[in-house]
Amino acid sequence: MSILQEICETLQKGRAKLMKEMVQKALDEGIAAQDILTDALLPAMSVIGEKFKNNEIFVPEVLMAARAMNMGTDVIKPHLAASGVQAAGRVCIGTVQGDLHDIGKNLVRMMLEGKGLEVIDLGTDVPAEKFVSCAMENDCQIICCSALLTTTMDVMADVVRAAKAAGIRDKVKIMVGGAPITEEFCRSIGADFYAADAASAADAAVALCKG
Amino acid sequence: MRDTVSLCLNGENRHIPQGSLLSEVISGEAPCGGRGSCGKCRVLAFGCLSPVNERERRHLSAEELAQGWRLACMTRAEGDCEVQTGSAAVPRILTEGVGDAYNISPSFLKYGVAVDVGTTTLAAKLFDREGHELAQTACLNPQSFAGADVITRIGAVLAGESFRLKNVLCRAIDERIAELCAVAGVAATDVGEAVIAGNAAMLHLLTGTDPEPLSRAPFAVKRKFGETVTAGELDVSVLLPETPVYLPPCISAFVGADTVCAVLADGTARGGTRMIADIGTNGEIFLCKDNKFYACSMAAGPAFEGVGISCGMRGESGAVDRVDLVNGKLYARIIGGGQAAGICGSGLADAVACLLDAELLDESGYLDEDPTYICSRVALKQADIRAVQLAKSAVYAGIATLLSAQGIKASDLDGFSLAGGFGNYLNMRSAARIGLLPAELARIARPVGNAALKGAEKLLLCPEMRDASRAIAESTETLELGGDPVFAENYMMGMLF
Repeated sequence: MSILQEICETLQKGRAKLMKEMVQKALDEGIAAQDILTDALLPAMSVIGEKFKNNEIFVPEVLMAARAMNMGTDVIKPHLAASGVQAAGRVCIGTVQGDLHDIGKNLVRMMLEGKGLEVIDLGTDVPAEKFVSCAMENDCQIICCSALLTTTMDVMADVVRAAKAAGIRDKVKIMVGGAPITEEFCRSIGADFYAADAASAADAAVALCKG
Repeated sequence: MRDTVSLCLNGENRHIPQGSLLSEVISGEAPCGGRGSCGKCRVLAFGCLSPVNERERRHLSAEELAQGWRLACMTRAEGDCEVQTGSAAVPRILTEGVGDAYNISPSFLKYGVAVDVGTTTLAAKLFDREGHELAQTACLNPQSFAGADVITRIGAVLAGESFRLKNVLCRAIDERIAELCAVAGVAATDVGEAVIAGNAAMLHLLTGTDPEPLSRAPFAVKRKFGETVTAGELDVSVLLPETPVYLPPCISAFVGADTVCAVLADGTARGGTRMIADIGTNGEIFLCKDNKFYACSMAAGPAFEGVGISCGMRGESGAVDRVDLVNGKLYARIIGGGQAAGICGSGLADAVACLLDAELLDESGYLDEDPTYICSRVALKQADIRAVQLAKSAVYAGIATLLSAQGIKASDLDGFSLAGGFGNYLNMRSAARIGLLPAELARIARPVGNAALKGAEKLLLCPEMRDASRAIAESTETLELGGDPVFAENYMMGMLF
């Protein structure tokens, strides 16, 4: 088995410590950081995303795989920067104002990172204006909003309005998700995309970033 | 993928794929196998439904059709709808609780009533001056038309349903008190005082207090109760308007008067290192350590109430309530015997534990065979297992996070009480096996039943304890788990078995 295949499997098993060693070993063998990313790390997270979507694996496995992924990317990051490799896109994410439930949001972040996107995590209880100013300052292609409560989901409409008011609505896509959110709700507030689960969110984000 | 629509079944909301046959969704008899030929599956159905067909006309008169009767096996849910099954099943609602002895010195002259308004159920008891229980009663909370959980109901109030939600609750309390009095043969006008406990949301809705602070972070509740109002102010009309009604104090937005009452009944606050937990759709945990009090709440979801589980149902007749594994074979016990109609919370915990022991389910929650049959007609699907993982982990993580925040281990506890219906019927071995409770706690767990009602009874019969209940409520420190990184870690990793 090639070392890239081994990295791919180690990531899927979520063995974070081993990942660090193996990615370093691959670099030492002269494999380009970009190739480690595109031929081992990203395909491994794709498998994880697919299995999660099909209910074959669950949150803990995704969490462990994502941690292993982070260990790997930490090792290659300086090399990627040095060779001028760009992320596949940049997004910001957070739970809307009044909502503190961030576990779903964190899963989406892991999946987005697993697709090679740069993610700015604004955390929980994020005011609409903060989503918009972050997107403007960092040139984000997507704003991702999460809400778990039926009483806080309406705040997502404020994010759409704030983006319009700031004049960036044509530059940024708005993605919404969380237990009470539906496709219909997404349409009703004028957001761009509703994701039913973290893996679908990541697939859609990649497509949206490609434009 | 088909769109989902919302179906309100006997007052409980669930999401189902658009176009589902009602018979696929409700568990009932279908002797003809769903061909529309026997007419046994009639239900009352309203909302966005498929048109009435010829077979239905054969079994239902024009008058019945006009009243909303349909055949479940012929009717599809095209959009949001409401269905009432004519099931004679009696819900199993716990009114009994364990409590300490105390000094009975009520302030009412003849009779007093204690009520616990739960999100799902309502229970009440009638007492005389000597503290004798004269009657007890229970029913489902009639607010369920506006959603199963408190947040959805608060949303309904904010959308303008305040009066309706308050009114159905007051009418249900009226009916319960009238029933208690009828059973005991006393006049409702001789009821001199009432204590009504409930979680913070229920007390807000009951008193018509604006629940907006409960709807979003920072969840800063303005009214924490621990006060006496009158029956007239509340609009509990079966009592004389000037009758005092004591509403026990709440700790915070999601740790309510029901928890304070449970703590009083259980004696959790009496010293040592003790914990009491109520496991429901919303779980509450209270910890006493060195005479200091800590509490937290977590949204476990309704899986253990049978909601969101494909074969799930309440613990009523027809429900599998216990599963054993003997020589590699599963044995299901059914409430009332006969054919299984579904599985309730305690049966679900047992079933998952047995599947783990039988190695049909691995520690990651992966089901070898999807679905896996527990007994004839009752199967668990992969998605059901995932729902159980989310629910059990929320409880486990809540307990683990509250303990670790105070730097104590489960083995340090002198006592652990489990309040509520589910806690009462739960097999502790299964609870430990599936990781719903830490094993050390499952070993020492003491079910205390409807401790909230027991505590309300205490406050009714011994009014001097009201000061103590306020002192407990005011000095309890609430740990907010939403956004807590320790909880998030415990929660995610706790999903493993």
